[in-house]
Amino acid sequence: MERNVITIRGLTKKYGNLVAVNNVDLEIRAGEVFSILGPNGAGKTTTVEILECIRKATSGEIEILGHDLMTGSKEIRRQIGVLPQEFNAFDLLTVRENIKFFAGMYDRRADVDELISLVDLEDKRDVCFKNLSGGLKQRVGIAISMVNDPRIVFLDEPTTGLDPGARREVWEVIRGLRAKGRTIILTTHYMEEAEVLSDRLAIMNNGKFIALGSPSEVIEDHGGGQICTILGGGLAAMHSLKDMGAELKDNDVMIQIRDKDDLVRIVTSLDHNDISYDEIILRRPSLEDVFLKLTGHTIEGGELID
Amino acid sequence: MTKRITTIFTGLARQFFRSPGSVFWTVAFPVILILIFGAIFDSGGFSSYDLYLQDLDGSDSSRDFIQKLRDTEVLNIHTVPADEDIDSFITSRSIENMLIIPAGFEKDLQSHTAGINLSLRQDGTSGTSMAVFTTINAVVQGYNLKLAGGENYILVTQHDIISEDLSYIDFFLPGIIGLMIMMIAVQSTVGYQTRFRNHGIFRKLATTPLTNAEWLIGMMLWMLVMVGISVATVMITGILVFNVTMSLDVTSLMIIIISTGLFTAIGIIISQFVKDEEVAGTAAGAVTFPMMFLAGSFFPLESMPGYLQSFAKVLPLTYVNNGLRDAMIYGNTVGALDNMLIIIVIALVVIITAVAISGWKKE
Repeated sequence: MERNVITIRGLTKKYGNLVAVNNVDLEIRAGEVFSILGPNGAGKTTTVEILECIRKATSGEIEILGHDLMTGSKEIRRQIGVLPQEFNAFDLLTVRENIKFFAGMYDRRADVDELISLVDLEDKRDVCFKNLSGGLKQRVGIAISMVNDPRIVFLDEPTTGLDPGARREVWEVIRGLRAKGRTIILTTHYMEEAEVLSDRLAIMNNGKFIALGSPSEVIEDHGGGQICTILGGGLAAMHSLKDMGAELKDNDVMIQIRDKDDLVRIVTSLDHNDISYDEIILRRPSLEDVFLKLTGHTIEGGELID
Repeated sequence: MTKRITTIFTGLARQFFRSPGSVFWTVAFPVILILIFGAIFDSGGFSSYDLYLQDLDGSDSSRDFIQKLRDTEVLNIHTVPADEDIDSFITSRSIENMLIIPAGFEKDLQSHTAGINLSLRQDGTSGTSMAVFTTINAVVQGYNLKLAGGENYILVTQHDIISEDLSYIDFFLPGIIGLMIMMIAVQSTVGYQTRFRNHGIFRKLATTPLTNAEWLIGMMLWMLVMVGISVATVMITGILVFNVTMSLDVTSLMIIIISTGLFTAIGIIISQFVKDEEVAGTAAGAVTFPMMFLAGSFFPLESMPGYLQSFAKVLPLTYVNNGLRDAMIYGNTVGALDNMLIIIVIALVVIITAVAISGWKKE
């Protein structure tokens, strides 16, 4: 049985009357990539910052690597690594100097040159941080999050703002960390990223986890069967299939298939009303569909739009 | 703890030496200031200014005082007869600087009971007025020291002060040192604090074993080095170019160290209230610019209107400037210690406030 490295029981965080995190339970297992998804204000950043020992919980019990968060935060800090959101290291220090700077904050530290190899930046080690591209900067950030040879690594939106190529390069680095046995807690706005990288994920909304499991489990549990897309169906198709919960997206109509007769009903209705369309496609729901269904937030190009 | 502080120190040092802008403001800027102001007001010590002087006392003491003014070699003294009507004399000859020694000067000087009021009438629009005032003020300062300090004190320090070629640049250099301490500590601290916060560096450091106190100590140590570089630059330029005689004793060093801590703490407080990097720079300017002009860095406080002089008394830079002048130029150790005491009190209050409000943990 996999050992839990983080156990949360009844975690609550309040800001005055606002309940940011509402009585949450969670277990994160050793060696897994665990993603937390959610719209802004859902409570994911607050949850992660409590685990990173930056914020204090209002109530609840948290155990990280066998230490109670309330009493053992010093020891926890020594054993976790964090890449903050929109992190930029010192502009005028080189890659190597930056990694060495942050390594200097710890008694126990990883070898700087090994970290540079880990993120594949050997040829950039003496380049100033400000002269690196966005993707390379994030790789430096990941190396910095590893300077104390941590058992748990928190990566807060590590690919935000990167082009698809650079994003995939960062994914490879994250896969490399996982292969080395690190537990990775990832927060991201990219559904594809969460689906591709995560062993398990949680969707958070209004301070609560509303879905939890592996990507396929979450899709299975909350996706509600296959999705039928009528390409080019337009407004006419949408009106004709309104009773079945049809939704219009651009000029396409989407309907969730609940049982095997639904597809027959759709085709019959289109024929009966003499509605023209280009094509009918059946597909499994994606994480994006699940997220949309559970939170009601819009996603464009795979990225959450608040 | 020491290792973490050393890491912060070396990291900030590397950043500094790779930033041409930082090096310019720390090293080149004070040199440019000294050269420009020195050229305008000092001209290498060879300029002299006309001072018309009416001695209404005609005593040995007043003649001695006039001789001391002559000894500065900055003033060309033109004696005006005691029975001359001053107002018409000034008007008819377009006099720019007129000093009147009042009757009873010697008597009051010896009795130590009544204050002596020397009347200096100047054309405020004249470019020479500041230098003349500064020179006379330096000589008067020497007399005041004699009166306050007793016989032995006079013998040790007074003669040297008065025999120096005191000029505007002598007044100016300690002011520039005070100014640079303030500018470097406030501006750099505000810059570091806001930039590192916005870049997520503080958020990252908050997840490490580094404490807030370690960060502040590391940063203050680096500020001291930057200030040291700037002070050395100012002194070397003053000595080499303008032949200024100034001493860096324990008191002046203490004032430099304490005021660096004081202004660093002011920078931390500013950066706590203004989060945006650009706005923070402006806010730092809003604090430092009035102090630059109202705390006596460029001009003697005595030359300012009364209400501005009162305002200057609440500015910490005023006491830094006064303390440095007393210690480095006038040799007035008592005055320097008085100012240092005030700086220590202000520094304690400000530093405690800064530490209390600057925790980088979210709560």
